[in-house]
Amino acid sequence: MGVERVLSIGERLHKLLEEAEREAERKIAEAQKKANEMIAKAKAEAEDRQIRARRGAGIDDLIRAEEEKAKKEAAKIMEDYRRKAEELRKVPDDRFKESVDLVLREVLPK
Amino acid sequence: MNAESMELEVQLIERTVDKRNALLARAEEQAKKILKAAEQECERIRSESERQILTLAGSELRAARDRIIGRAELEGRKLLMLARDELLSSVFSAVKAKLKEMVEGGIEAVDYGEILLKLTVEAITEMGGEEFIVAANERDLKYLKKNLKKIKDRVKTVLGDVNLRLDDNPIDALGGVIVRNSEGTKIYYNTLEGRLRTVRSRIEAEVAKTLGVI
Repeated sequence: MGVERVLSIGERLHKLLEEAEREAERKIAEAQKKANEMIAKAKAEAEDRQIRARRGAGIDDLIRAEEEKAKKEAAKIMEDYRRKAEELRKVPDDRFKESVDLVLREVLPK
Repeated sequence: MNAESMELEVQLIERTVDKRNALLARAEEQAKKILKAAEQECERIRSESERQILTLAGSELRAARDRIIGRAELEGRKLLMLARDELLSSVFSAVKAKLKEMVEGGIEAVDYGEILLKLTVEAITEMGGEEFIVAANERDLKYLKKNLKKIKDRVKTVLGDVNLRLDDNPIDALGGVIVRNSEGTKIYYNTLEGRLRTVRSRIEAEVAKTLGVI
């Protein structure tokens, strides 16, 4: 009776492991399938975009994005020039006076 | 069933369950790795595709960018140029204001009468000849009338004796003179405004340098 019971349990445990192995294999296969699908989809999309780009379509979005990027850069450039222009206007009094004297010397006869 | 065999049975069950759990955990881990690798591969495909499209659309994108940046650079440089011009204009306006003050006798250290004589003599000697008509504004004409002999004497050292007349019609000028020969074929503009204009075109760059704006 005891030996029979141990054998029966051993068999059931073996079955449990076999099922677990199948479950593990199924999980991996499922992940692999999903991965293959993801890659295939990405490849198809990339292919499609390239075909459209070769025909000149789909570039509009890229150009718009590039324009937006360039506009931001342009705003920075303008800001920089505005700052420089403001700096230019802040001429020290002595330099301004020196310039006035220089012109005056040239205007008046020697 | 005795206690010893029961203990063995429990141990067997525990070991098997542990083995099963470890097996499933490994599978789970491997599945995650597969999906992560796939995501990375998708990202690589997308990036590569993006790069290839950018290469294809490169010239159009560059043109779009250059157009916007180029316009900003141009506008910016214009802004700087305007600021420089404003500054230079303010210098020349200040000079003009000083000249006005000077001709009105507002600057004690400056003898405008002497300046006027020099302007007249300079115009005559530069023109050359024997007969001259000098025009000036009302105030300067009065001064020149009083000092006509002085002018002739100074001119004499360069041109000898000359015939000098004053034009009774006053000109509209801040100061200085316009000298012409009797035939009206030669005219020498030596007004202060005229000289200021000439000086501006001649030394604007030097003034900008003195101001430190170039």
